[in-house]
Amino acid sequence: MRDHERLPTADRRTVLRSLGRLIAADRRTFGAALVLYLAAAAAGAALPVMLGRIIDGIGEGWTLSDVDRLGFLIIAFVVVQLVLTRYGRLLAYRFGERAAADLRERFTSHVLRLPLGQIERAGSGDLTTRTTGDVAAAANLLRETGPQTAVALLQIIVVYATAFAVNPGLGALLFVSTPVLFFAGRRYLRVATPVFLAERAAMGDTAETLTATTAGAATVDAYRMGPERGEEGRRTAAVHFKRLMGILRMQSWFFPSLDFAILFPVGVVITVGSLWFLEGGPVTIGQVATVSMLALRLDPYVFGGMMSLNAFQEGGAALARIEGVSMVGDDRSRADAPGPEGVIMDEVVFGYGDGPDVLHGLSLEPGRGKRLVVVGPSGAGKSTIARLIAGIDRPRAGAVTVDGAPSADLELAALRKKVVLVTQEHYVFTASLRDNLRLADSAADDEDLARALRMVGADWAEGLAEGLDTMIGGEHRELSITEAQQLALARVILADPEVVILDEATAGIDPGSAGNVEASLAAALHGRTVIAIAHQLQAAEAADRIAVVQEGRIAEAGTHDQLLAAGGAYADLWRAWKGVAA
Amino acid sequence: MARTQTARIALGFASLSISGTAWILLPWVISRVIDEIVAAGSAEPLRAWAVPLIATALASSWVFAVGYRCLFAAQTLTRVGTVRRLTDQLNTAGTGVRGRVSPGEMVNLSTEDPFKTGLFVFQLGFGWMGLVMLAVGTVVMWGLHPALGATAAGGSILIGFVAGPALSRLQHHQIAYRDRVADVTDMASDVVGGLRVLRGLGGERRFSERYRAASADLRDTGYRVAGADSWIQGLRISLPLALIAAVTWIGARLVLAGTITVGDLSAAFGMTALLAVHSGSLLALAQAYITARVSARRLTAFFATRSDIDLTGDRTGATGVLHDPETGLTIETGRLTAVVSAEGGPATAALERLARYEDSPATWGTAPLGEIDVDEVREGILLLGEDHLFAQTLGETLRAEPERALRALDTACAADVLSSLGSDLDAEVAAGGRNLSGGQRQRLRLARALAAEPEYLLAFEPTAAVDAHTESLIARRVAAAREGRTTAVVTSSPLWLARADRVAWLVDGKVRATGTHAELAGEPGFRRLTSRQEPR
Repeated sequence: MRDHERLPTADRRTVLRSLGRLIAADRRTFGAALVLYLAAAAAGAALPVMLGRIIDGIGEGWTLSDVDRLGFLIIAFVVVQLVLTRYGRLLAYRFGERAAADLRERFTSHVLRLPLGQIERAGSGDLTTRTTGDVAAAANLLRETGPQTAVALLQIIVVYATAFAVNPGLGALLFVSTPVLFFAGRRYLRVATPVFLAERAAMGDTAETLTATTAGAATVDAYRMGPERGEEGRRTAAVHFKRLMGILRMQSWFFPSLDFAILFPVGVVITVGSLWFLEGGPVTIGQVATVSMLALRLDPYVFGGMMSLNAFQEGGAALARIEGVSMVGDDRSRADAPGPEGVIMDEVVFGYGDGPDVLHGLSLEPGRGKRLVVVGPSGAGKSTIARLIAGIDRPRAGAVTVDGAPSADLELAALRKKVVLVTQEHYVFTASLRDNLRLADSAADDEDLARALRMVGADWAEGLAEGLDTMIGGEHRELSITEAQQLALARVILADPEVVILDEATAGIDPGSAGNVEASLAAALHGRTVIAIAHQLQAAEAADRIAVVQEGRIAEAGTHDQLLAAGGAYADLWRAWKGVAA
Repeated sequence: MARTQTARIALGFASLSISGTAWILLPWVISRVIDEIVAAGSAEPLRAWAVPLIATALASSWVFAVGYRCLFAAQTLTRVGTVRRLTDQLNTAGTGVRGRVSPGEMVNLSTEDPFKTGLFVFQLGFGWMGLVMLAVGTVVMWGLHPALGATAAGGSILIGFVAGPALSRLQHHQIAYRDRVADVTDMASDVVGGLRVLRGLGGERRFSERYRAASADLRDTGYRVAGADSWIQGLRISLPLALIAAVTWIGARLVLAGTITVGDLSAAFGMTALLAVHSGSLLALAQAYITARVSARRLTAFFATRSDIDLTGDRTGATGVLHDPETGLTIETGRLTAVVSAEGGPATAALERLARYEDSPATWGTAPLGEIDVDEVREGILLLGEDHLFAQTLGETLRAEPERALRALDTACAADVLSSLGSDLDAEVAAGGRNLSGGQRQRLRLARALAAEPEYLLAFEPTAAVDAHTESLIARRVAAAREGRTTAVVTSSPLWLARADRVAWLVDGKVRATGTHAELAGEPGFRRLTSRQEPR
């Protein structure tokens, strides 16, 4: 319907800065974990060194007590290594856990400040994906993959350093397969991300298909769509299978290359090392054994490091999308609007995104404290008028002002006191009934809440066993459409703004109670400006003024009697409405 | 399928056995070469050994790759197979999943859980490879000296057992952690879902605080997991090292006693190092088993979901009126009945019973609906409510050949749905009809129901989101299009009542009166409900 403008994605610099900030916020834990990891890696690398010492020592005529002393030393290194690893890991976890919490909390508070219009243009799916998938992926990066990559990297560095310390010549031989490692690694990193992303997307499609089948179970049953939904599920599963096989194809060349890159230096160290030894070079057999065993030690770390590098990339991409949300600024700058003018729409031209104009120079002035009903066929632009007055969208030309200030410029705190929009989309939060209501007025006491509920005819609320503490939404007590709508209206009464826009707000309420609700709502909102948008006409007759919108223009406006007398579009509509009911 | 899967797993196990054997023997062969070189005092032995050694090392990498491929494929097939079973299960359970499986749970059931159960197959292969290496390594080291073989074998087995109790402690925390993650994610989704309300009315602070509290709770649970998990991680690295240390010490004493050579010692060191790394695969297997069991439990619970109605009815050939004893509502055949009710609940429930979405004593003609074959009921009776719109083309949504589809769109006054999608029946309707307006979605649902041309159509407020002009047109066209068939509409709109052959008026969940619109219009209560003329 509208063109999609995705929410922005942060560039590499911003992502790095954000990572830097997370580290800086907890740099002591981060630093300590790093030091512990490094020390643990060194303690682990001591073992092959000890082996070399024993081999050479025995050649030099060691006694049993010499051997035993070294044996104790080795065991001591193992214990030290365990303690260092444990506390390093613990600190890394704590750092990751804290950073992840910080990240998601900051993200959520950014989300709460996002301009509605922009989210709707991006589609709420984009934001939902970032809220769930990306936050989880970034948290995983901080808690799991990050530390794992760090450990692998530190181990590799320590192994190389130890090899050099044991014998620089043999240590240098370990680099013979570095080109293989480099090129295979580079190629892998280049191709891996799209391959993994394609797999993730395919998995997402599968999940979405099955979730839709679940959500629409009654529809599937009614139209006996079972076979075709099954077909669709199997099709997405087949695509997912193909993507997984793509991963396998890639790993089929990558893994053997890694294996080769690890085993080859071992062979070279042994061959060249023993030849050196025979020629009387500066090496001992013990050193040859040490360095070749060190080289074998690289195996799990090179593999692990390469694997987590990929998760690292994914986590980075997730972080870029998370940080992107914080780049969306709020362009509201007017702190207040003191004027006495009320709502004025003046020659407003508006269209969504790059789409055609929906409103063509529309002017409307409901009048302070008056009740205006806007009617017209679907697609005429009625809801667009509501969104513009509520400051969600900005007109292309002309002005929409509330008490003299453009509503799209008013800061939220000020805007809410002026204008509240209620639509048919009534959201129930997974929270207590009290929390669901008090978001509109945090100062309201239980008596205020009960009164607001009574005014909208929400008698069901009185019957709740746990009263206002009853949990609603989600897996808790499910509200019917009527109940949810009453909840939404009760919120408006509590918010008590100067202008209330009701966009089909009572459409879902049972016909028996709709009348009562409207009557009590009218009483509760007495003295306020009410702009009611309706497909149905029942609200029109009692209004101070009626505006008929057709094709983005005000076709006619006036009181009920005036419009009937004029015999125009409204009179036609009214006849269609009541003529048959006589 | 099952047989090729078995063959694939067998080949995977065989390949991993071969490459595992080659790897574990590598340090032993290397030490033999070194010993021979030292003994001969020349590089002569290297010439004989070098080529087979490097060839074996390369070959074992490729054999490993074959094994990996087989197991990965087996894992993938298991995983995709689970998704297929989920698809079939959704069919079997039908409406039984309503209210039992949330969309969030379904996402987990179709992604994480199959992955984790599939991963177990994968890890099983590597666990097996670890066992083969352990067996071969033990035999070779036993040949060097029984003390070395016994230490290496005993130590490797012990590592598995020591880790056992710690792992079970971890599992407990992991489940709690996973639940918290889900809670926090749900809460964040809740904020995004209700963003319009929060932006419009306020309450961000309250919800931020709630979210922060849940996030902090998750963080603290994470800390607790870290307490146990960091020991596991430490032990995973240190226990193998301890084993290497023990073998090195024992070996060094044996060398000193002249029982084994220096080459034997470095062979034992290298083999134990490899064993130690791969005893990690036994640990990983244990972990994979734990997570797979959690996932399998959830999957099993879902696979046990059954239809929420009794499906055993087998009578066929039902005709005649639909009757719901609970409300006293009767839907006469071949006519358009309007059901007027002050409360929506009882009317909806009555239609659900009559369309057999609930077990009840409702009847179709002379037969209780519960005794009639469900397929026949679905074929004959269609309930239209807030139906789901799937992501498919407009034509597929309408489920009829173009001519009938266009006719249905016309009857439902939904031509604008077609034109807004570029006047193309092949245009895509987004999931949930997100690319359509609320009114368009409602009319598209109506069009789909009309295109199905059911013998009985039971509709709940089919035009609630439509303006008066259009509603009047829809009522007229639907009445004409369904001439001769049975239609019931829950509504209080005078525009429908004017077209209805019969009107049933429900008060407090019971039929108060039935008759024509004109007959009922005399009742003050009924007039108040349906007439739009009286000022309120």
